[in-house]
Amino acid sequence: MIKQIFKNLTTRKNTIDVPELLALSPESVAHFVNLQKGIDGIFNRSLRIRQIDAGSCNACEWECTALTNPIYDIQRFGIDFVASPRHADMLLITGPVSRQMELALKKTCLATPEPRIVVACGDCAVDGGIYKGSYAVTNGVSNIIPVDFYIQGCPPNPMQIIIGIKELIEYLKVKV
Amino acid sequence: MEEIINKAVKTKRLFNELYIEVRKDDFKEACVYLYGKKRAILRLMFATDEREIDTAFKIYTVFSVPGTDKFHIIVLPLKDDLIFPSITPDIPAAHWYEREIRDMFGLTPKGHPDLRRLVLHDSFPCNSFPLRKDWNITEPELKEWGKGLVQKEPYSFMKVEGEGIYEIPVGPVHAGIIEPGHFRFSAVGETIFFLEPRLFYTHKGTEKHFESMSFFDGVKLAERVSGTSSFSHSTAYCMAVERMAGIEITEKAKAVRTLLLELERLYNHIGDIGNMCAGTGLAVGYAGGAVIKEKLMQLNERLAGSRYLRGMNEIGGVSKDIFIQADDILNIINEVTKEYKDFMKLLTGTVSHIERLENTGRLSKDIAVKLGVTGVAARASGINDDIRKAHPHLLYDKLDFEAHTMARGDVFARMMVRAEEAECSISMINALLENRYKGELAASIKEIPPCSSALGYTETPRGSVFYWVMSDKNGRPLRVKFRSPSYCNWPAVPFAVHGNIVPDFPLCNKSFNLSYSGCDM
Repeated sequence: MIKQIFKNLTTRKNTIDVPELLALSPESVAHFVNLQKGIDGIFNRSLRIRQIDAGSCNACEWECTALTNPIYDIQRFGIDFVASPRHADMLLITGPVSRQMELALKKTCLATPEPRIVVACGDCAVDGGIYKGSYAVTNGVSNIIPVDFYIQGCPPNPMQIIIGIKELIEYLKVKV
Repeated sequence: MEEIINKAVKTKRLFNELYIEVRKDDFKEACVYLYGKKRAILRLMFATDEREIDTAFKIYTVFSVPGTDKFHIIVLPLKDDLIFPSITPDIPAAHWYEREIRDMFGLTPKGHPDLRRLVLHDSFPCNSFPLRKDWNITEPELKEWGKGLVQKEPYSFMKVEGEGIYEIPVGPVHAGIIEPGHFRFSAVGETIFFLEPRLFYTHKGTEKHFESMSFFDGVKLAERVSGTSSFSHSTAYCMAVERMAGIEITEKAKAVRTLLLELERLYNHIGDIGNMCAGTGLAVGYAGGAVIKEKLMQLNERLAGSRYLRGMNEIGGVSKDIFIQADDILNIINEVTKEYKDFMKLLTGTVSHIERLENTGRLSKDIAVKLGVTGVAARASGINDDIRKAHPHLLYDKLDFEAHTMARGDVFARMMVRAEEAECSISMINALLENRYKGELAASIKEIPPCSSALGYTETPRGSVFYWVMSDKNGRPLRVKFRSPSYCNWPAVPFAVHGNIVPDFPLCNKSFNLSYSGCDM
């Protein structure tokens, strides 16, 4: 443990690089995203997200979990995932909404205080994705509750989710 | 074995599958003989609607006898009378399978101790069986379903009564970023006396959905059954379809698949070990595991264009030769190996962490055998069962590895089994990269033979996965049955948490790391 702490104090090297595909390092993302102003203005300094799995395959959840790891570290932007819908500004919903989750999703949505933002994350949540047309799914979140914003990808990787949130904030700035 | 075969109506052999069709009176006896006398493991049990081909529903029970690379499949046709003798009283591992058959096909297991619905929840209409070929649901019924307005077949939780016992209902929406499931604890003070999980919230009708697409498109769906086992699921599915079509994939394709399976196992195991730290509040361990996992995920993205290795498998082989990027893989693996060793040293040297793991969530071997537990959970309870060893496929018969077991069956054992397997995967990846492999990437298949069937299987990071596919008269899917490892392991979780305190439940749950989506189908 001491070794680890010492290493962290003495090296300034990034743990790992962000995927080349996006040509962004976590630092440049912080600059590029520049969420802070938007978050300060709209959400009074912090954006709290409640993630709800409405029948996803679990890949989207792991990408959301990856957002809180030391590489993406979404908390530094003032964004965090919370345990209760009562604490949330935003609902991040994944999965095609299975019929057996429909009621739970509606109740969770109602438990979130207004004004709330609903984001459908992943191809399944957008329109059912590969599960579109199955008897046990409802083909996307918008068939159950009104959706404000969509993030595509199967699954969207962590950087795409961050960029999605950034776009959402820009969109809200115009709207508010 | 002769005893069963003599009583058989007919037998059929295909690769290592031996189909034995029996009469209803002999069905139970045959299954119990395999389970009791031969110590066979129940791998899979399912029904099919073959009324168009054979004028009957059929029930298939797949056993494999340890020590032989053979599957004994007992087939029971049901023509007019839709009741079959339940084997659950003798083979407890069959209890979920039989309830599922009743839900999806309306075939009743006679003598089953618990005939509540399993897959379909309260508001699904009664007497409606989705996997029957002539099933359809009316628009109003479909609208009502899920709204909770109509309680069509109420579900009764088991009640525990007594002084000081109280219930804690949790879920389906949980506090963390995890999948939905309902848990009902009956606790005495802090100690869990009884836990009843209610799953299948993420039931997406996947098996029925497979039937609506061609075998070739099914690969994409198989990849999306369970996120972190995407590649294993698609490998098992492709293997089943390839065996059914009677083609052998090239050595190159086998090597790519084996390599990717091990890469998938590696990122899962390291990620899981890290996640267990979240259960004990060891933030530095959690972060450390997440960093190593992220490295492997980014490697996956460079190799396959997908962090979950999606799009690599296709029927007949693979879509890309990843051996071109061997240097990249080797670099990352070397880096990861070093960091992983430091990481494990950190964890095993942290007393507060290890103390929480030891003697927590103990699953006895006896219960694990009875419930047919598979994968890491089984090996940590002393069952030496690994599909890669028991039924060698791909290049696993040429690789040098062992199935690691531990006898104690607690959370610590599950962590250590993962740790040993991760090291084993690293050495297998290195061994695979040393050789060169010949052949095309994929063999071309245009048509699927009609009315044929086959089994596909592999070992996911969680345990064994099975696919069984059957084609209809036109070479389209008649039935695609899959069984993910989580389906076998969920019933064992209540036994493991019994007697532990409620705050240790997340830790026990993380040590099994079960998929809800894979289980819920």
